Amino acid sequence: MTATLTKTWLATLALVLAAAAPLIAAPEMPDGKWWKRPRLAAEIHLTPEQSREIEKIFVQARTRLIDLKADLEKKQLALQSSMDDQTVDRKAVERQIEAVENARAELQKARALMILDMKQVLKPDQWERLRQLQQEMRERRQERRGASGRD
Amino acid sequence: MPTITHLSEAELFGLAVPPAGSPEALPAHLSDCLSCSRALQEWKAAVRALAAEDAEEISRRSEEEWTAAEDRTLDAIRRVRVGRGGSGLRWTVGIAASLLLFALALPVARMRHEAGRRTNAPEMSAEDQKDDALLRDVARLSRGEDAGGAWNSLAPEPGAAGNSGEEDRL
Repeated sequence: MTATLTKTWLATLALVLAAAAPLIAAPEMPDGKWWKRPRLAAEIHLTPEQSREIEKIFVQARTRLIDLKADLEKKQLALQSSMDDQTVDRKAVERQIEAVENARAELQKARALMILDMKQVLKPDQWERLRQLQQEMRERRQERRGASGRD
Repeated sequence: MPTITHLSEAELFGLAVPPAGSPEALPAHLSDCLSCSRALQEWKAAVRALAAEDAEEISRRSEEEWTAAEDRTLDAIRRVRVGRGGSGLRWTVGIAASLLLFALALPVARMRHEAGRRTNAPEMSAEDQKDDALLRDVARLSRGEDAGGAWNSLAPEPGAAGNSGEEDRL
């Protein structure tokens, strides 16, 4: 009973932390290697030189992103194992939750800085159009989800 | 005097659009008959023009546009039948063959388009695709959209995870 309550409390804490993460979120841009997608590149009139510059920024950030991603995943795995354990050590799990969220914050920071550098390569209207496209994509996705939810 | 048998429209169409694989042998009649030779050239030109239509453009057409195109074609067939009598048959066969070509070209164009979407456009090399996956994972993780049914992802953001479809369209 106590173990279940502890688990519930810890899960709630983690949910609160995870929900807070987007509040300090980075500027958004389409996921993936968007500058390599021909139609998107055409939409914002991305020049080959800009594309090369953005690729360079990504390559510089890549190793760190790989490391931070792996670190976060390892910490998530450790936390998952502790949560699945029958005898929950409340303090240990609390530390693990913090470790997961710290790792996530580090990853978020690295990504945000990469996006910021990419933003510097784009002209303001290109950046604006990119954000617009990202917003449109998100809205369409939500509409589709809403529609499928009603079916 | 021997009777000359010209090639039918169906035969000319078959020669203009040979089946995939080995090229079709041309009938000897073509080397003697200027009329059939010209007709075959016309067929080939029409086929080339159809094939040149941008596959991307075709695949982007909406259902309404396809219906409108179909209606226009059927109207044209009806007009030819009324206005040209016997020679209308030649046009009818031609337009029907064009429709057939469109019908064959559409799935191919759609398949190409779908394949392009799945692979994130042909411009992406294998290395790019790996990087693309990395960036998507990083975005998902840093937004807290951890998949896999983990206990801390019981209440994902609406429209959050598994969201690449719309972006792939661009």
